[in-house]
Amino acid sequence: MKSICRTHEHLSRRALLKGALRTAGGAALMNWGGLFHSDAMANEVKKSNKRCILIWLNGGCSQFETFDMKVGRPTGGVFREISTNVPGTRVCELMPRISQRMDKLTVIRSMRTSQIDHPGGIYLMHTGWSRTADTRFPEIGAIVAKYCGDAESDLPNFVKISSVGDAGSGILGPQYQPFKLNRDGALPPFSISPLSAEHEARRHGLRDFVERQYAARHRADPVRMHREAYDRARRLNNVRHVFKLDAEWEKYRDKYGDSKIGRRMMIAARLVEAGVAFVEVGQSGYDTHADNFEGHKSLVPPMEHAWAALLDDLDERGLLDDTLVVWMGEIGRTPKINNRSGRDHYVRSWTTALAGGGVKGGLVYGASDKDGIDVKEDRVTEGDFFATIYTALGIDPETENYSGVRPIPLAQFGHKVVRDILA
Amino acid sequence: MNIKAPIHQWQLSFEGEWPTSVAFLGDERRLAAGNRSGQIYVWELPENPPQPQAAGGKNSKNDRPPDFPPVRRLDGHTNGITHLRTTPDGRTLVSSSLDHTVRVWDVDAPATGEAEVVLDGKQRENQARRTSGRKRDEILNAPGTRVETVAATHVLEGHGGWVYGLDISADGKRLISGDDQCLSIVWDLASLEPVSSWHGYDRVWVRSVALAPDGKTAFTCEYAGRRSSFDVPAAQARLWNADDGTLKMDLLKIWTPDVNDRNRTDSYQYWQKWRKLLKRGLVCAAFSPDGTMLAVGQGGETDTGKVHLVDVDSGKILRTVSGHRYGVCDVKFSADGKYLLSSGRDTTVRICRVSDGEQVAVLGASRGGQFKDWVHAIAISPDQNTVAAADIAGMVHVWQWESSG
Repeated sequence: MKSICRTHEHLSRRALLKGALRTAGGAALMNWGGLFHSDAMANEVKKSNKRCILIWLNGGCSQFETFDMKVGRPTGGVFREISTNVPGTRVCELMPRISQRMDKLTVIRSMRTSQIDHPGGIYLMHTGWSRTADTRFPEIGAIVAKYCGDAESDLPNFVKISSVGDAGSGILGPQYQPFKLNRDGALPPFSISPLSAEHEARRHGLRDFVERQYAARHRADPVRMHREAYDRARRLNNVRHVFKLDAEWEKYRDKYGDSKIGRRMMIAARLVEAGVAFVEVGQSGYDTHADNFEGHKSLVPPMEHAWAALLDDLDERGLLDDTLVVWMGEIGRTPKINNRSGRDHYVRSWTTALAGGGVKGGLVYGASDKDGIDVKEDRVTEGDFFATIYTALGIDPETENYSGVRPIPLAQFGHKVVRDILA
Repeated sequence: MNIKAPIHQWQLSFEGEWPTSVAFLGDERRLAAGNRSGQIYVWELPENPPQPQAAGGKNSKNDRPPDFPPVRRLDGHTNGITHLRTTPDGRTLVSSSLDHTVRVWDVDAPATGEAEVVLDGKQRENQARRTSGRKRDEILNAPGTRVETVAATHVLEGHGGWVYGLDISADGKRLISGDDQCLSIVWDLASLEPVSSWHGYDRVWVRSVALAPDGKTAFTCEYAGRRSSFDVPAAQARLWNADDGTLKMDLLKIWTPDVNDRNRTDSYQYWQKWRKLLKRGLVCAAFSPDGTMLAVGQGGETDTGKVHLVDVDSGKILRTVSGHRYGVCDVKFSADGKYLLSSGRDTTVRICRVSDGEQVAVLGASRGGQFKDWVHAIAISPDQNTVAAADIAGMVHVWQWESSG
């Protein structure tokens, strides 16, 4: 399918008129280049063939039980540190495999974000923006799909496996909406037609005829979106084999660990290899207000096993240099351990990690204080974090898309790109 | 056990990390308690406790039972204590820990050193908050208690993970320990050599263990916290032959007869079935003194944690008793087998009659609010007149029945 630039994506008619009028009136040329910059930049970025996998730890994984331990402090908890393959860097004993791949990771121990509860946090850490009433900010997946994805591909460019977030493609338009696989990574039932190929073709012919007639008289966006959605679903038939991964799972089950998150990560690797620009893989259960230690003890080992395998697998297939692997949830967890043996929500100082394409390995960026209560150095906000991710993927975080006439940059106003962690 | 009105005789300060375990050492005046940072202290209580200290002015309901300092600290563990058990003669204490070890202690061993400890740091801080200047410093920096330090006589190192489960058979001959690698080991207590061992599924933890009085039958509950694998059920409740580690009875199969064996995987349907019985794992277990019955407590944060009484011969649940709001932490039978004591996340110790399941007494009271502390462990003195409880709020409570006081 050809890439068709829609006006609402890049350039609204009102914005164009406004720009033209102001120019005619002798005012400064208002972001004229920016009106077209988005599409030109997308074409440029696509050449670099960058991909992204987001490992989403739903509920908010504890920094104290992973990458920012405070052993011996009142906030430390019951786990112990282990050394890693990066001298001087230690991580939680729950992550023996990742500890030996720290040379591939950049850990940010100084996250400070603004949304402390789940809905706000999920929106924030999927879009880089706090939810507002008047702007539908797109998720990172939609942005990567737009700027790094192949619009000609029959594969969806933004895939979610058992993950969360409802922001979707927002102002970028429906062609960048996430395609959600089943929890086991299989195609969802709605994507499988119960009809024979012949019946399917006849039905498509009839629907296409009716829609063309209708579209000729109604030039509204919903009509176009409806047709595009059908078209995408039909094109998926051409690549159905890409999602048939049972045999592959049997082959790689031990490598990724015999777990649900292991299977999801293996599927993410295969989809990226097949050309999907962005895959989000979710693991739920981290909201450990009670029994935090047992919760992390059950969740982290299968996750870190799979994560380590994912990094190895991408590396072995020559994909890691072009694939950015992002590890994060929506929030961190409190230093204080409550009387339910739990940790509550915390965003004043927490941890995320990046690996692969565009970032350095073996780096710990920023630091929290001795009890993990506050950021001690090199604070990274959500704006900084997303701007850095986009930069690592070759996307200019200042790139603007339009919400009506309002230009919206990809990353929040006032952000700074954390250059120290970029390769 | 002669259940009469309980007297809250002692409230021993054990602040810092959570007290998680408690055991009597031969008689009702000598007890040990361990906490989540790996410390174990021993108290030797005087025969006649002083009158309660008035804590709330005129309101006698707020009178606090007297405190008493410990005399010994058992040094060696480097992470949380999960259980303390004593041999029937009260001379050997065994502790299990998150530091992957089981340690054996001679409670009368000569001291190896001395230390000054502060176990009332929180009380000091509260008191200091109401004062200022020099007085405040005096309170905070007041000398602590001097205790003897003692080292373990043996360290059992067969485990590679958190040792979650520990029990000693009533005949004092065998010990069982279970860890988060799903390994269970039965030890001979005289030689401290393994008698048998068995291994469950990967990433499933041995959450509780119990040994029958003769040490021949073992119970384990295995639990995985979260469902993680497609093929492995996240929970098991099984009886084992402790002599050779062979499976004796799969209790979950008996409790869910309508489930086909091939469906006993990590399916949602099976999870719904076993979850009703096990909640978030059976975190505590005890055999009755005659070995015919097994009590298992539903743990984790759940609406109401109950205790199942299981017939050991048939594996069937005879009745379900007690009921701790938010989950059970520990269970013990009285020596005559007539009563079952359980502690839970509602800060109470509940005593139920085994014959009909009726609750006959409650020690402690709920502290209000949805979530307020746990009574993590209980112990019954050899003479059955005293009950001790480890309270995560930083206390060890000691109650005595009125008639025996």
